[in-house]
Amino acid sequence: MDAILKTENLVMTYRVGKVDVNALRGVNLSVGRGEFVSIMGPSGCGKSTMLHILGGLLKPTSGKVIVDGEDMADMTDAQRTDTRRRKIGFVFQRFNLFPTLTAEGNLQLAEQIHGKGKKIVDEETRREVLRLLRLENKMRHKPLELSGGEQQRVAIARAIINRPAIILADEPTGNLDSENSEIVLEMLQKLNRELNQTIVMITHNPEAAAVAARTVHMRDGMIVGEE
Amino acid sequence: MDNLVTSNIRQRPTRTLLSVAGVALGVVLIVLNTGLVEGMLNDRIRRERGVGAEIRFGRSGAMLSPSSSNPVDVRYGDQLMKIEGVKLVSPVGYYIQSGNSGLGMEIVEGVEFDSYSTITGAKIVEGRAPQTDQEVMIDEFKALHNKLSVGSDIQVFGETKKVAGIYSPQVGSRIKMPLSALQSALSADGKCFEILVKVTDPDKQDDVRKRILDKLPGNEVLLTRDIGVGVGREIPGIKGFVRAVLVLSVIVSALVILLAMYTTITERTREIGILKSLGASKGFIIGVIEKEALTISLIGVLVGLVISMIAAWVLERATTLQLEFTWSWILRAGLIGLGAGALGALYPAIRAANKDAVQALSYE
Repeated sequence: MDAILKTENLVMTYRVGKVDVNALRGVNLSVGRGEFVSIMGPSGCGKSTMLHILGGLLKPTSGKVIVDGEDMADMTDAQRTDTRRRKIGFVFQRFNLFPTLTAEGNLQLAEQIHGKGKKIVDEETRREVLRLLRLENKMRHKPLELSGGEQQRVAIARAIINRPAIILADEPTGNLDSENSEIVLEMLQKLNRELNQTIVMITHNPEAAAVAARTVHMRDGMIVGEE
Repeated sequence: MDNLVTSNIRQRPTRTLLSVAGVALGVVLIVLNTGLVEGMLNDRIRRERGVGAEIRFGRSGAMLSPSSSNPVDVRYGDQLMKIEGVKLVSPVGYYIQSGNSGLGMEIVEGVEFDSYSTITGAKIVEGRAPQTDQEVMIDEFKALHNKLSVGSDIQVFGETKKVAGIYSPQVGSRIKMPLSALQSALSADGKCFEILVKVTDPDKQDDVRKRILDKLPGNEVLLTRDIGVGVGREIPGIKGFVRAVLVLSVIVSALVILLAMYTTITERTREIGILKSLGASKGFIIGVIEKEALTISLIGVLVGLVISMIAAWVLERATTLQLEFTWSWILRAGLIGLGAGALGALYPAIRAANKDAVQALSYE
């Protein structure tokens, strides 16, 4: 399968006071275009650090992070930001919607940033995304007027509206009850299947991980297996 | 249209109101102060130009201020009358005191009413000219605005005096008393501040001025038509005052916006992280914050202008202060308000743009 995301010997070392903390110790990961991969592991195993590096929010100490043909490890902060704008969509555990904006406003903001002020998302894609996420009637609501599950669906819509190469989901069901978790996971699966969307999801939850086609296990900053 | 800038302004009403008030205060300071300076200067210039004397003879370097003396010997009047082309002279003394309303300053003139009236055309329209040291006359404007009439009490030299008469038209200062009374109160017998000179042929006033300078060198001989320059110069530090008001306004507006935006940025750290996760560049983040500050500043400018107009209306009715607003100062006040807002927001904006995205996203 054509790899849309690839890391080579990825190392991340933090300096905490006078101590070096090795968050990632040579991670090699390859994700194919249109693949749904979950990354599981205990707290502190380096999954979040890896997700942040994959999304260009952090620069690794060494190694390569190739996203859709571009090595983000070699980029400046501004270049990583630009690559993130064009190719990455984030979904967070705490939804991270703008509370002062409606669902529509949150989507428009993402479109505005992606298009650098120009409207480049076609109406058909927009309608399709909203239909898949069952959000057609929720767009005029502000986040606090929506349930947790609905907020997370808006966050997913925001991540996917610009059709990024990869969606990086950080514990997307961590703040949801089991019913809403199921709905959100089902939506992610649907987006992966129907739109061929590449998704990398980190989770603690084995049931959540099970919806992905492949699960990678991490421990102590390394990949220790996959199924 | 639901956008981040307007929604943030709406969602944080206290912050918005405080910021608007800060910018408005700066605008009010500029517009009211420059309006007062322009209004008072122009009013004074109009009244000074209306005295009818083409030439004003005074002591070189003498300035009209609360601490100024009356340095000219009235006997210069006799020498002036001997110069070819001089038709009439009238000595005038000045005293500056606090305004009766408690605002601003007020000039009291000491005049010899007969010669002054002949030169200026000022006529008593009610009552009579003052005849004792305890009497003064005022112009119609002051009578109307201070609700004074013949027989009213008025404070001059810290003493209560009586209004003996009301004169018209408005020329020179609004309060006049006999020159001898002013000299006596100031212990300046035989002195005045300047001598008004009426020439026989106004077309030849330049020649007369030259002859006066030749005959009485070392004195200041001004043409009344140049009085705009003269009056401006006579008020010491006026330019410095206006500049100080401008600087103060910029500081007040910029500081209020800086503090408001700084606090807002701290509150919105997580939102900055979200913007970064969406791929927003530093320029985009700075732009959002600057747009917000400029929108708030624009509201502040408009509120400031409205408050200034209302304050001017109240001041003009409650006091004899005159305010004149010019488009150039209104425009400058607006630009200063917007500029100060943009400047004040710049540091918080740059700080926000440089925040670490991961730390910002985990901010509680």
